[in-house]
Amino acid sequence: MTLAVTGVAVALPGAADARALLHTARPGADPVDPTALIGRKGLRFKDRATQLGLHLAHAALTDAGVLQDGELTVPSGRLGTVVSSNLGNVDTVCRAVETIAKESTSALSPMDTPNASSNIIASETAIRYGLRGPNLTVCNGRSSGLDAIRWAALMLRTGRADHILVTGVEPDNEVTRRLVDGPVADGGAALVLSRDASTRAKALLGPVLRTARPADTAERLTRQAPGGELWLSTEEHPVPGAARRIALTGWGELSGALGVVQCAAAAGWFAEGHNGPAYALAGAAGAVLLAPERTP
Amino acid sequence: MTYPILGIGAVAGIGADPDAIFDSLCAGRSGLAPLRAFDRSRFNAQQLFEIDDRQTDGVDEPGRATRFLVEAIRQAAEDAGLPEDLAGIPVLVGTGLRELRTLELWWRDGVPLDSDGLHFENALRRHFGAIDTHTFAGACSASLYALALAWDLLELGEAETVVVAGCDVVTESMFGQADRVQFDPPSSVRPFDKDRQGTILGEGAAAVVLSRSAPAGRPVRGRLRSVAVNCDAHHQTAPDPDGVEDAVRQAQAQAEVTPADIDLVVLHGTGTPLNDRTEAAVTARVFDGPGPALTGIKSLTGHTSGSAGLLSLIVALCSLDRGLVPPIAGLAEPLPEAAELRLVAGEPLAAPVRLAQINSFGFGGVNAVAIVGGAA
Repeated sequence: MTLAVTGVAVALPGAADARALLHTARPGADPVDPTALIGRKGLRFKDRATQLGLHLAHAALTDAGVLQDGELTVPSGRLGTVVSSNLGNVDTVCRAVETIAKESTSALSPMDTPNASSNIIASETAIRYGLRGPNLTVCNGRSSGLDAIRWAALMLRTGRADHILVTGVEPDNEVTRRLVDGPVADGGAALVLSRDASTRAKALLGPVLRTARPADTAERLTRQAPGGELWLSTEEHPVPGAARRIALTGWGELSGALGVVQCAAAAGWFAEGHNGPAYALAGAAGAVLLAPERTP
Repeated sequence: MTYPILGIGAVAGIGADPDAIFDSLCAGRSGLAPLRAFDRSRFNAQQLFEIDDRQTDGVDEPGRATRFLVEAIRQAAEDAGLPEDLAGIPVLVGTGLRELRTLELWWRDGVPLDSDGLHFENALRRHFGAIDTHTFAGACSASLYALALAWDLLELGEAETVVVAGCDVVTESMFGQADRVQFDPPSSVRPFDKDRQGTILGEGAAAVVLSRSAPAGRPVRGRLRSVAVNCDAHHQTAPDPDGVEDAVRQAQAQAEVTPADIDLVVLHGTGTPLNDRTEAAVTARVFDGPGPALTGIKSLTGHTSGSAGLLSLIVALCSLDRGLVPPIAGLAEPLPEAAELRLVAGEPLAAPVRLAQINSFGFGGVNAVAIVGGAA
């Protein structure tokens, strides 16, 4: 079964679509404003990662044609979501213990209660857009985004859903910066993966795998889908010297968003007319993205 | 298709392995106790179901979720006869709160942590040499969601054997937020009782080894018949009867069984007014007539969040093995929606159990339902 990327969305400062990922990040660009796309309603008590996730979900579902004028065009039970975020709610958690230590639980905001659970982005996304299929949150470190793609693909192949929205998103704040020891990308990307490799395909999904070491993963990717010219990898080491490499480091630490942003960048690469496979590498996880089959 | 469960492992406040936990459930032993490591002056609620393992009373330690996880996996791997090195075996972990308790101690008290310490990858590599490891943060149904993904790996032939686990310790932020919204904290957890007042968090870890086939001559703990997953897409804390019913019916359809085939349901049963009412109503709708025996474990273990589903599944396997169903402790008079249901109360029920259904429902309407059968 060939799985297709049928919808793509990008939300990073200065980068609002897949092609923008192929270029260097613009320093000092304004932060993403989710209210500009989805309005203010329902966002007030959501944490930053959830707001960004809702923005990305709207854009990707719309791009895939499964959301039109606020209504789903496919059965809601066949549409699932997988979110990758390592740092999404760490600010809520840290703020809460600080408040409890200084005062007591009476000083906490009851509106923060849902945000204390790490699956808040996925559950809010499902509630807002009516996604009743499987709902999964991956918090797996550096490889998290590509892992999310892999689990979405698995659930599509076993028939648990027909379409899965995969969102990789991280927030930039004092806690996340201190945790990763540097700036954090305030945003991410989302894809819709579909069982039906329809005319909407922006990329096809090749093998997604994990080995013990990044170099082994890189070797297997090129063996399974030879002839690629683009590598999406933060690290230089496992990438062949002559290959074109895009690191995607200009927005700060992408953490759990990385793998999803890499796949979005591959879709941007194909949109510019390239045809060879693109390889994504995050930690020891890897994925091959293939150009959509274009009808002559 | 069914897959054999080769090994089980678990730790909870009421026991350090599956047998001890099952014995405590049958004997009505509770793990509820006054707060052990949080500053009691900061909370209205004063009780939790903790695992009493800290070196110094009143002083919390980082890394406890990982500690319990590693112990549950160690037990399950040993029970399954796996080698100590799990390099070729995927390990899938469902959790509600990851190592967020360690994050809290890092932020407030300066305990060392980097972002990789939030999930379990490095610990699983260190302890078991495991490479393909995954942390899923799926609230209270997380471990059964992980079980569903393990099923999918086996189904597609991407793995021969998978270790599935769940773990959680109580975070101060989650306990604090619950304390903020629960003005009158419950004194106990009483699932399906008409006087239930709410839930209390607990700590625990559980693990199973699932395989495409059992090695010749090795006894198995039971067979996994199906795991269904979906989402209500309805409300953060209010479960949706239709979503829950869909998950139950999907699980039964995938297992190719009818409601009449099910002998036991281990209910999610958190003891909150809304959850129990919804679960009782859906159960009454799905099962005609007297229906199966129904039990739940949270009155004695507390709500163990990410490990809850797998812990219930292990209890179901023990019931299959022993022909004994532990009662729902603290159940005096059932809520009206459960009046006709066969809730096991008072004493353990001695009855043959061939097929059991396990319910697990999480924050955000994330539902998972599994069906397991006996070893035969």
